[in-house]
Amino acid sequence: MARILANSYHSKLVKLRRALDFHKEELKALDTKYDEIVERKLNAFLKNANRRLSKLAFEACDKNEYARFVLEEKLQRYDVKAYMSHRAVNHGAAKRIFKAIRDGASFDDILTDRAEKMQRIAEKRAAYVRSLEKDRDSFISKTGSSDSKAYDAERAALEAAYLEEEKALKELYQAKIDKERADIEAKIAKLEDEISKIKASSSTDHSLPDDVLLSVKGLKMYFGGLKAVDDLTFDVKKGEIFGLIGPNGAGKTTVFNCITRFYDATGGDMYFENKYGEVVDLRSFKVHDIILQGIGRTFQNIELVKEISVIENLLVASTRSYKTGFIGHVFALPSLKKEEKLLRAKAMKILKFMGLESYASWYAMGLPYGILKKVEIARALMADAKLIIMDEPAAGLNDSETAELTETIRKIRDKFGVTILLVEHDMGLVMNVCDTVCAISFGQMLAIGTTEEIQQNKAVQEAYLGVKEDD
Amino acid sequence: MNRYLQKNYALFNREVKTDDKFTEGIRKLVRTPSLQYLLFGVLMCVVGFLATQKILPYSWQSAFASTFAYAIASIGFCLLMGYSGLASLGTGGFIGIGTYAVHYVMVEAKLPFFVALLAAIGVSVLIGLIVGFISLRIEGIYLVILTLALSEILKTLYAAIEPKLTLSMKDALIFGQRLPTTMSLTLVMVFLVIVMIITSNLINSPTGRAMLAMKNSTAAAQAMGISLIKYRLMSFVICTAYASITGVMLMMVMRSADATDPTGYYALITSLNILAAVIIGGYKSIWGAVFGTFIMYGIKLVIFNQIPFLANNSLIITLASGVLVIIIAMYYPGGLAQLLLEAKTKISAIIKKMKEDKYGKDLG
Repeated sequence: MARILANSYHSKLVKLRRALDFHKEELKALDTKYDEIVERKLNAFLKNANRRLSKLAFEACDKNEYARFVLEEKLQRYDVKAYMSHRAVNHGAAKRIFKAIRDGASFDDILTDRAEKMQRIAEKRAAYVRSLEKDRDSFISKTGSSDSKAYDAERAALEAAYLEEEKALKELYQAKIDKERADIEAKIAKLEDEISKIKASSSTDHSLPDDVLLSVKGLKMYFGGLKAVDDLTFDVKKGEIFGLIGPNGAGKTTVFNCITRFYDATGGDMYFENKYGEVVDLRSFKVHDIILQGIGRTFQNIELVKEISVIENLLVASTRSYKTGFIGHVFALPSLKKEEKLLRAKAMKILKFMGLESYASWYAMGLPYGILKKVEIARALMADAKLIIMDEPAAGLNDSETAELTETIRKIRDKFGVTILLVEHDMGLVMNVCDTVCAISFGQMLAIGTTEEIQQNKAVQEAYLGVKEDD
Repeated sequence: MNRYLQKNYALFNREVKTDDKFTEGIRKLVRTPSLQYLLFGVLMCVVGFLATQKILPYSWQSAFASTFAYAIASIGFCLLMGYSGLASLGTGGFIGIGTYAVHYVMVEAKLPFFVALLAAIGVSVLIGLIVGFISLRIEGIYLVILTLALSEILKTLYAAIEPKLTLSMKDALIFGQRLPTTMSLTLVMVFLVIVMIITSNLINSPTGRAMLAMKNSTAAAQAMGISLIKYRLMSFVICTAYASITGVMLMMVMRSADATDPTGYYALITSLNILAAVIIGGYKSIWGAVFGTFIMYGIKLVIFNQIPFLANNSLIITLASGVLVIIIAMYYPGGLAQLLLEAKTKISAIIKKMKEDKYGKDLG
């Protein structure tokens, strides 16, 4: 009963928090919101200015040089065409020669034919050059000398006008941005107020030590008579990389599935400090509500949607952050587009951080395995996860990819301040990256400690290597 | 070179992108799916008009109208199968909800057409919610069995209550005006285009992505915060609602329905035909669903019925469509949509090859 009550109290908060997150994201994107419009307006200005200048530039230029420039350009264009006809002649001749060789006939007439054709092409070009030169001469004799004064004056005036325009536009949009910022901040303050009221009205009696993020106490998971996990207790500290190791069938993945609520644990407690800083009982949530508390996960076999692009895969993780409902989606309302734009910008930022921005519009189908693993991690980050649970992240990767993954795991820990809980078989990765390692066997804890302690531990060695019989 | 001649006469030496706004805008518009659907609708209305003027065969008018009425149900099925990974064989039964809504609201109660439409959607949503809530907790074949059973129950029910329905000319009113039979294709096209636009919006929205995620992997979808029952129910209810709209349209077009007819609207064959249409067309494409329906229903009515031999031996057509389903399921699991895509890439490859032959590799 208490759990059901707790659940309803959270569902009230979910709505408020979704709005809050939206406004916060809006605030982040505010600075660059009007950049595009400013750029477009300035471009239009430049286009106009350049059109005016191009007229004056003709007056300003040296006519002899202008004529030479025009001639060269025309000739270049002509030569491209001439190249085609050269090619066609050669191609045709070659085909006929091959045929003649095959038939055993002589091909001297083909060669002379080719030479004649080439001659004709060259003559045509010479005639064209002559006509161009004639044009040039008549042009120079017709037009007068150059005068660059008007051009220089206009150019200086336009440059000054451009700078002024830029300043004015920036000021205008800065004022808009400031106004919007004030609005959004007021909304955020109101929402925060409401949230704190709800929080005050309901008391949570759970508490965790300051540095602990996730606390698992006496976790039991029985499948009929099989004790997959039996009385397991451990704490995951904030900001650490926590490794869970054990031989096959030790119950590692079962522990994960209990934490992410895929399995309903037979017994025990799991407390977690969610992304809003409250301590919650994980067992009061449904499996699809876990992500709202800030627990993201990746899978052993990549579970991405293959038919949509990488960036859309990231957006799948923020399905719950959309304020717009079914009606908004059906009619593609502007509010949905606004949200979509914000979330896409956020996803792009994460992809850039992961070094995946060039794959953003690629379909997930057919991308290399190593990339897909990274996309899965990016997807977990997209939901603002505070704890990322990785199920065998190095499975199926080669050595260099594993090394890269190690680097990525450290990087996201440092940049996003996430805590990472991973199950892994690759001891190299575990010993390399983990701060704390917990070894389990047959659902029970063998040892917990730093990597060195685990390596020295007798019980762990026995579980992995078997009991030594001699010596 | 003179500094006035090069591009550097430009202010600050900045290159300005000078894309042609007009052609760019047109290109963008043509690529917008909703506009494509609208164009398609207008085109089909023109065909209907030409048919009523007897420039095209007169029978095309009602043939196209009934085909595109079925296409509405196909699009719903496409959403259910291609996006949510579920299947249902209850389409026939749900079409019946639409026909009976028309009967009770328009014929018996003499209320306007839109009340009948809303009633059909309302009742089908209600039944969809109840059936879905019971059956969608289990996956796969159970939903198929349950919807099949439901469809048979509904069919028997219809036969028991009122086996033969007719909509007379004086009852077929829209906005208080009589709907001439020549306008029925226009009516169907309006609703088909609306359904196409709505569905296309939906599948490109977060909801569509959530459905795809759910189809790909239920575990990953749940971990990403997607409630399975919610999205399954949503797509199932949309599917039933579309089927009931089909029922309303069929009643408006054909003006009669018979529950005792073994090949009528409510029979299992309708559900199977819709399933086949979606498989032939490509189960993830709206265009595919429409053209698949055209192959299953339209070709027979529009082309084969004009040929006396085939019109007399309709079994051959049924056989041919069965063979087509087998071939497509075996070689082109993506359906006609995939076939067209492959043809497109192949043609562009051939054009490239021809260019290379002519001008050489560096220029081609």
